[in-house]
Amino acid sequence: MQKIRFVLAAGLAALATIPTHAATLFMGAYPDVLLVFDEGKGAVTQKIKLDTGLPTAMSLSDDGKRIYVSTITTSGIEVIDAASRQVVSKFSLNDGPYRVRFYGGVADPAGRYFYTIVTKIDKEMDRYKVSKPLYGVIDLKLGKLVRTAEIEKEDEKAIGGFRVAFKVSGDGKYLYAFGEKVIVIDTATLKATDRIDLARPEGTGLENVGFGGSLETLRTPGQYVSLFNAADPYIHSKMFGLARFDLNSRQFDFTPIGPAPAAMASLEITPDGKQAYTVVTNGTLGSKRCEFWHMDLSTNAVVDKAEFPCRSRFRFGMSMDGAKLYIYGASFDIEVYDAKTLKLEATWDLGNDATGAGMVAVP
Amino acid sequence: MKHLRAINKKARRIDDAVTQMEAAIEAAATSGTTPSDMEEDVVALQQAPRPHVPMGCTLSFSPGWEVDAGGGTAGLCQPVERDIYDCYVTCFWPVQVPDHVNYSPDWASNCATATKDWRNLDLVFP
Repeated sequence: MQKIRFVLAAGLAALATIPTHAATLFMGAYPDVLLVFDEGKGAVTQKIKLDTGLPTAMSLSDDGKRIYVSTITTSGIEVIDAASRQVVSKFSLNDGPYRVRFYGGVADPAGRYFYTIVTKIDKEMDRYKVSKPLYGVIDLKLGKLVRTAEIEKEDEKAIGGFRVAFKVSGDGKYLYAFGEKVIVIDTATLKATDRIDLARPEGTGLENVGFGGSLETLRTPGQYVSLFNAADPYIHSKMFGLARFDLNSRQFDFTPIGPAPAAMASLEITPDGKQAYTVVTNGTLGSKRCEFWHMDLSTNAVVDKAEFPCRSRFRFGMSMDGAKLYIYGASFDIEVYDAKTLKLEATWDLGNDATGAGMVAVP
Repeated sequence: MKHLRAINKKARRIDDAVTQMEAAIEAAATSGTTPSDMEEDVVALQQAPRPHVPMGCTLSFSPGWEVDAGGGTAGLCQPVERDIYDCYVTCFWPVQVPDHVNYSPDWASNCATATKDWRNLDLVFP
């Protein structure tokens, strides 16, 4: 009888870890695959082979139908149909001694052009010439880098690195680059038209701010909501808060919440848009401490916190229904936390080490 | 350089390139501008804006798996095998891991989970 009770309890505990509206997660994994993970089963159900190599970034189109995967081995892009889980197109930008390097990026709403920051490598007679980071436009139909433009000197520090996230406005006219500032770029001329002094919080050991693959959103086309740091102009005291961007009108509002902690992850927002979660870390190396922060978006207030044992490097995500929080990355597993209690519920084995490409969830 | 003479095709092309660069520098000095080739300088990796370092292992140096960025071990991934692949891709610890983007793209092809089956990783002899 005791054994039956134990089995029953174990079964119920396992059921409790299954999100109520289970979705499919796509995750980049070593050496060259995209894992298709069923939240309901808590298991990998398919592995999609990527012929262009190791995935480093992913982004979901605004209509949720296509996943754009950037790969590093041959500097490729593979487009996946989210419903059929098939690769619908793929190409590599490397061509013999001519090479291109890029991490992440974003496709325009029509799915024709892919915007990113590239470094071009040309083999010359006595050396390889490596360009500065450039704005790059990749034609997804032709499979070619069709336009590049220099990043203005004043923007190099803010978005010249690779840990930059991108969004495109619904009309395709403006590219937003989120780095140490928010730079708004005209997609026709690749010139910056606006610069906003808000910085994405950057974290030691946190990786999901960057690579363009895991930008959080309210899932409302044309809108983007995230955590940003801002400093006052007098004593430069850093505050963190919520910024809401209207990508078409280029308007935004920023609500400060409190003093900026040492590092923060991205903001994960529940489907009803009312609750949000992030991970805050303070201290470094052996004295690093990590906490989940639960925020109420109607009042912009932190309503709950809970410390959890964090990895040296990790990424933060959330289930499609907002009921579970995920800690993953630099390993072969996902730690599943309950979003209400902020307690660890389960650990899911992926069978492959996950890359820095992040996680894309589709219904 | 005056006593060196180009004797093959490639050396002559290098000679021509140097001559062109010197002419550009002279022209720029006359007009008071800076030629684009001379804008680059020796810079520290820590300074901002960060220098444009080509991806790959050649220009990276870090002491190794034994210590973290603070000189201790508490900041390392545990077990350290959890970190081996991300270092392999980004070349963070180039002495111990091969370089994915330049010469060892297949190093991880026989080993999906480094923590569990790292014995399947090959030794690399450059």
